[in-house]
Amino acid sequence: MSAKEKLTSMITSEGADSLSVPKARPMLEGLKTMSLLKKIGLGLLILAIFLAPIFFQGFGHIFLIRIFAVIGLYILLALGLNIVVGYAGMLDFGRIAFYAVGAYTAMWVGVPIARALGEVLGGWSYFAALPLGGLAACLVALILGLPVMRLRGDYLTIVTLGFAEIVRICLANNIFGLTNGAKGLPRLGDSLGEPPGLQWLKYNTFFRLGNNFEFQFTSNIYWYFVIFILVILSIIIIRNLDNSRLGRSWAAVREDEVAAQAMGINTAKAKMYAFVIGAFFGGIAGVTFSYFQAYVSPGSFTFLESALVLAIVVIGGMGSIPGVLVGALAIQGIPEFIRGFASAGWFGNLPAEAISAISNYRYLVFGALMVFMMAVRPQGLIPSSRRSRELHATGSDAVRESTTLEDERNKVGETYHTQL
Amino acid sequence: MGILIQQIVNGVTLGGMYALIALGYTLVYGILLMINFAHAEMFMVGAYIGLFTLKFLSDPAWGMARLGLGPVQEFFTGSVLGLIIMFIIVFIVTGALTGLLGVLIERVAYRPLRNAPRLAPLISAIGVSIFLQNAVLLWIDSKPIPFPDIFPIVTLPYGLNSLKIFIVVTSIVLLLGLDTLVSRTKIGKAMRATSQDRGAAQLMGININSVIAATFFIGPALGAVAGIFYGMYYGAVIFNMGFFPGIKAFTAAVLGGIGNLRGAMLGGFMLGMIEALAVGFLPAGYSGYKDVVAFLVLIIVLIFRPGGLLGESVVEKV
Amino acid sequence: MKFKTLAIVLFVAFLAIALVGCNGGDAGGGDDGTTTATGVTTYTIGVAAPITQGSVAQGMDIKRGAQLAIETMNESEEAKAAGVQFKMVEGDDMSDDKTAVTVANTLISDRNLIGVVGHYNSRCSIPASAVYSEANVVMISPGSTNPDLTLQGLSGVFRTCATDDLQGPAGALFALDMGLKKAIVIDDSDTYGEGIADFFYEAFEDNGGTVLFREKTQVAERDFTALATKITAENPDIVFFGGGFETIAPFSKQMHDAGSSAPIMGGDAMAEQDYIDIGGSSVEGDYVTNVGAPVEGLPAAQDFVAAYKARFNLDSVGNFASYAYDAAFAIMKAALIVHEETGDVTTPAGRDALIAEVEKSNFEGVTGTISFNENGDTNNKVISLYKVVDQAWEFVESMDLGAK
Repeated sequence: MSAKEKLTSMITSEGADSLSVPKARPMLEGLKTMSLLKKIGLGLLILAIFLAPIFFQGFGHIFLIRIFAVIGLYILLALGLNIVVGYAGMLDFGRIAFYAVGAYTAMWVGVPIARALGEVLGGWSYFAALPLGGLAACLVALILGLPVMRLRGDYLTIVTLGFAEIVRICLANNIFGLTNGAKGLPRLGDSLGEPPGLQWLKYNTFFRLGNNFEFQFTSNIYWYFVIFILVILSIIIIRNLDNSRLGRSWAAVREDEVAAQAMGINTAKAKMYAFVIGAFFGGIAGVTFSYFQAYVSPGSFTFLESALVLAIVVIGGMGSIPGVLVGALAIQGIPEFIRGFASAGWFGNLPAEAISAISNYRYLVFGALMVFMMAVRPQGLIPSSRRSRELHATGSDAVRESTTLEDERNKVGETYHTQL
Repeated sequence: MGILIQQIVNGVTLGGMYALIALGYTLVYGILLMINFAHAEMFMVGAYIGLFTLKFLSDPAWGMARLGLGPVQEFFTGSVLGLIIMFIIVFIVTGALTGLLGVLIERVAYRPLRNAPRLAPLISAIGVSIFLQNAVLLWIDSKPIPFPDIFPIVTLPYGLNSLKIFIVVTSIVLLLGLDTLVSRTKIGKAMRATSQDRGAAQLMGININSVIAATFFIGPALGAVAGIFYGMYYGAVIFNMGFFPGIKAFTAAVLGGIGNLRGAMLGGFMLGMIEALAVGFLPAGYSGYKDVVAFLVLIIVLIFRPGGLLGESVVEKV
Repeated sequence: MKFKTLAIVLFVAFLAIALVGCNGGDAGGGDDGTTTATGVTTYTIGVAAPITQGSVAQGMDIKRGAQLAIETMNESEEAKAAGVQFKMVEGDDMSDDKTAVTVANTLISDRNLIGVVGHYNSRCSIPASAVYSEANVVMISPGSTNPDLTLQGLSGVFRTCATDDLQGPAGALFALDMGLKKAIVIDDSDTYGEGIADFFYEAFEDNGGTVLFREKTQVAERDFTALATKITAENPDIVFFGGGFETIAPFSKQMHDAGSSAPIMGGDAMAEQDYIDIGGSSVEGDYVTNVGAPVEGLPAAQDFVAAYKARFNLDSVGNFASYAYDAAFAIMKAALIVHEETGDVTTPAGRDALIAEVEKSNFEGVTGTISFNENGDTNNKVISLYKVVDQAWEFVESMDLGAK
């Protein structure tokens, strides 16, 4: 089947069955058709996620709540990037810029509200900051995207990377006197206020079971649940997007941009949507980070962060939501778990020097693991089923893995004469 | 006017180092279409290897003198001829060792991924980068190590000095050498063929693996030379020194048209120049924005020339 | 299919961690098991500093300083008589505020944790201090000089280093006293460098000096050739650089190469032997301000320097190692007193008593007398000026800002 036929079948619904590309299918409908086993699995999983912080807090392993909450933030970031990289096939290396925009917008919105309403009511500003931060990130993505969206492949990479550096440097230089430079926000005496309802929860949820178990609601648990809810909502939204007409046009653009254009898809528009929608999730992650941490500084938005978010998407499996979850668990979790378990004495009763060595070697091990994971599973831990179908369903002569180096080589060779 | 010339001198010196590093990015990209993010770390490791080689040869408390080669060491540090020979040895040894490390990394981290989805080697490269940084940090030192101050510095007018001239001249010689290597020699021909069409090159009897190995040898070797320059010029090496030059050199490679050797050279010198002139001529108090200027220039260039300055842009055929 | 895999993976992961978590709680022997059969009680001291990323040079100094303090204390008669030992747990915050808060949460997960020496960067200390304070754990920062840290009104937050609003102005006054009237101020866009440079700027202008301009650069930046050319053309009397020695040393070298003869001045993060080692002859005549009177005369300081060099096989002692050493001692000395009185420092009452006791600290440390004011800042408000003379830091003069 030629690329064009393949795309025709993908875009028009008649051909959808032959390629077994799923039709648009809302989440709830998906739930209906799910087998009983899957339903039980999903239920158990959500129950486990829900109960986990209570266990962790009760047994005093507070750091696990924090780590999982941070993993949740990275899931949000990676879900956004997954739209850009995994669905639309663009390589964005500056994801952290949108995160930063969201985080600083939260401060700009939240601090004046908290100042006006006072410490207790001020925290409600989160609900105003959340959409505003997301929209601000979208706006920034739109402004950056308009001129650069037509750049291909790696040229887009460096532009996004450069843009993220521009954002970070502007923040550090206290641009227009708004960001308080390296000292970060909020300024002394300001705050974002108390998270809504936290005080009530703190005083009403204390309980004790035996000698070893003592539960008390904390702000860590609070934000764990907020992030948990955001992640679930985002997954539902993104699943629906992926199964929509827009999602199929992303797939077409990713597979063969020229053919997609020939089929009447406005590729520039499709890519722009991906870029802007992806930025939205980065923005809301940033807002939540701001409130969770109650402090932001330019030091949080370095290139390494962008690289790690990209690593989450690729190691998990591009275009795959379960992949993002597992990838975030691996990338954000591994170093922190190594450290946390070492200092909590879970590797046995080691001398302090050994524990210190384990925790200091964690990034060395992590770097090696990244290489290893890629070597073992270059498609990622949980590759997207749709992508693999696209890549393999059409018979041996047509296995055009347009995403392999070899093929990109030919494609780019046609586009730019890059010979040395 | 004097200031302008001085800033141009500063820019060209910095640009020479960028260009050397940028070649490593562009070579690998030209052959494998892969952004080798670990290249910045090759530059860093090269600087360390250069530092130790230099110390071994010149420092009385180190190596040579202890091995009973005191007179040789005195010859190296005592005379101009000795210094020249010593620096040549340092460059060759450092280039060779770093090049071998580059080949090793290619073998371990990238070769298994040759037919993998194209983002996979990128992530591997980030992993290698994290690994190398931490290896140097944990196994060598977390503090900056002073670079031996043995290059004789003769100060000249307009902010010129012997070290700056040495850096620029050596960079240009190496750039021209590489250009000749790629355009005139047999291995260069093989590299160009591989870069155009790997499959066809293989059918023509070119050993792809050795071409790729050569690429991964040359890039880091040049990066290592830049690392030595960096150590001499700025006085110290540290485990995280690769980051800024790495990003800048990558920017330079893209600015010139990634995959294009002369583009990388042009991009390197241009970027060094942009930075120096931005610092020099932004209003007082705004030199912190010099990287913003550099990246903005990049973005603007790419908007008007999507293939970079020397990258040829052709409409895609279907 | 994929979904099921995911569900299983995640579920197993959670289950495993939760189960191990329960076991860990018991096996770790955490909570009430502080006292072993031999009657020795072990308390945990956290050390939070950048170890694998960021300001690693300073972070390692802090770690070593605290480690030496804990080892010294464990060997001491005081501790043996009281039946108390201290265990160090290290938290690598990578100079990143998000990681710092995770580190804080990791440290307080240990129920025997009574105090933390750390963090180094103010942008890490500020968000982490809220976590320690909530857990009623003493935090003594050996290196966060941003005044805001102790002005947040959190209990149990102290520091052994001087704040930027002392060192910056002191530097300005020293410079003006020497007749240096035209300054250029630079910082490295880090909380410390920016803060100290701001205060220098303000005090310099207020006291009759002129700041020609203010520039910013970045921590990892090493190329200052263009900036040096620009500054040299302005011909300032002095250049104040807020940042660490690893950034300022190359800067000073490049200023020298550009033909400038203006001395460079910086704060305590520059007061390291490494500064001179990297800069070589270019840094002759540069100035640095440091906290406290020169300690060479103090026997405690000499012992510390000797012990430090021997213990870690190093040639020089980093500045922040001494602050960390004193910080660790402040916690441990207070802990011994509270342990004597209440028998257990880890109870809520014990923790409150510990904070009160640290507040009352008054002993001769290796950086001078260690005592804290009502905010938790050190009362040691003597700032000394040093100059590079013949490749070594030479004491010039001291200024007591507390007296004013």
